[in-house]
Amino acid sequence: MMSRTEEDFELELRSLPGVMNVGISHRDNGDVDVVTLFVSGQDSTQTRNAASQIGTLYYPDAVVIVDDAKTAMAPREGEGPRVALVRADFNATDGVCEVQLSYAGRPGVGRAGSGPLIGGAEATLAALRDLGFAVPFSLMAVVNVATVNNWPVIVTLRSLADDAYRFGIAESDEDLVSAARATLDALNRFLSGLEDHG
Amino acid sequence: MNDSSVDALEEENELQPDEQVPVTSPNGATPESVTPSGEHYEPWLFQTMLNELSESELGIGFIYTVLEQLAARYELSDAVVVLAHDSFGTQSFRLGGQTVTPEITDVIGTEPGVYCDPDVVSEVECDAVRTACQLSLSLHLARFSATHDALTNIANRRNFDSALQIASARSARYGWAFTLIIIDLNDFKEVNDRLGHDAGDDLLRQFGFALRRAVRSGDTAARVGGDEFAVILSNAEGHESSGFTERLRAYLSAAGNSVEFTIGTATSPRDSTDPSELKRIADTRLYEKKGVKHR
Repeated sequence: MMSRTEEDFELELRSLPGVMNVGISHRDNGDVDVVTLFVSGQDSTQTRNAASQIGTLYYPDAVVIVDDAKTAMAPREGEGPRVALVRADFNATDGVCEVQLSYAGRPGVGRAGSGPLIGGAEATLAALRDLGFAVPFSLMAVVNVATVNNWPVIVTLRSLADDAYRFGIAESDEDLVSAARATLDALNRFLSGLEDHG
Repeated sequence: MNDSSVDALEEENELQPDEQVPVTSPNGATPESVTPSGEHYEPWLFQTMLNELSESELGIGFIYTVLEQLAARYELSDAVVVLAHDSFGTQSFRLGGQTVTPEITDVIGTEPGVYCDPDVVSEVECDAVRTACQLSLSLHLARFSATHDALTNIANRRNFDSALQIASARSARYGWAFTLIIIDLNDFKEVNDRLGHDAGDDLLRQFGFALRRAVRSGDTAARVGGDEFAVILSNAEGHESSGFTERLRAYLSAAGNSVEFTIGTATSPRDSTDPSELKRIADTRLYEKKGVKHR
């Protein structure tokens, strides 16, 4: 199991601009030996310097290597249009959420009156149906991990075809936006399948 | 509630392997049931989460634990989880904490998901793993952000106050000595006014970094205000703070940072064992040195 110190070390490294992966190798005695960062779209010299500084705080003897990803992590070619979240509003007066999605320039709007969390997920499913997609899933649960903003929201859907669960997770400043994005996240494979045939 | 009633409650809530678990529908519809050992349920994943929670808190370490469990379960030779995070952007984690190489990224691209070699894990299970990993990363960041200053990555005021409370309580109870140091950067406002806020932030970042290097393991360094920092030197009487300030100046100098600072100190239990009183004494001494009347 990773120590708390090593976890925080890796978290700090991953917080550096452009860092996409951190690989850590250990000596036989468990000490951190070599740290390899995989960096994209940034000045790797700057990142190397910053990472080396962080390394001196946690593991002064560790060697820090920075690999430049260059174009390796570029988006795949040939991807079709994607379902995008355009807007999510909550009317506190009537308690109705409205979610607007777009797909290939077409808008889809869904509404639901169950509050920002559950309503956000329900309105997103409704917006997908408004776009013309058959969405064979039912909403099982929407949970935010804490009662403050900026904490993750997890949406659980159940497939009507095979009873399997789909989980989606997202976080943002607002529960409604998180719920809408987490719903799309849970449907990511389903939606990409649609898009292949779109 | 006494112990026996707690035991009875726990016994009552204990799930048997094939017991039906009610799942409440969020919109108030009729509750449904699923079997914990059902085909699409991933009990190993949740068991791993419970084990990890019992030993620590979910964080980056959990992601590697899950990848190891996944590899053991399906005899995988490699596994990578790619996460998309608001604060971090795209992040990939590879089995065993290995480095992701360009050849690997050609395979995984930028799409969030779990990529296994061989590709034998169901999409549903991959999505469950990805969600659990995403949650762990978010929780780790939230925990770190709640206790650390975003600019300097040293402890924030809340974290520092908590550390000072603990140190003071131990000092009062056992007589263990520690020194509280309050540090104020000289003429910081002028730097901000003359060179701009970005330069000011850079200076604070550099100072925070030098501070982290200057403290010993077991000490606490924090940013407690705009240009105000504080340190708890464990097991140290007041005069030992001179060694700390020398180290701090040396690290600042090595970084080419010529910022001047003033310190005020208070030592527990000699000066007081009350955290507020210690802060007041250290502040007063700081402002005396600066030649400013402290209110």
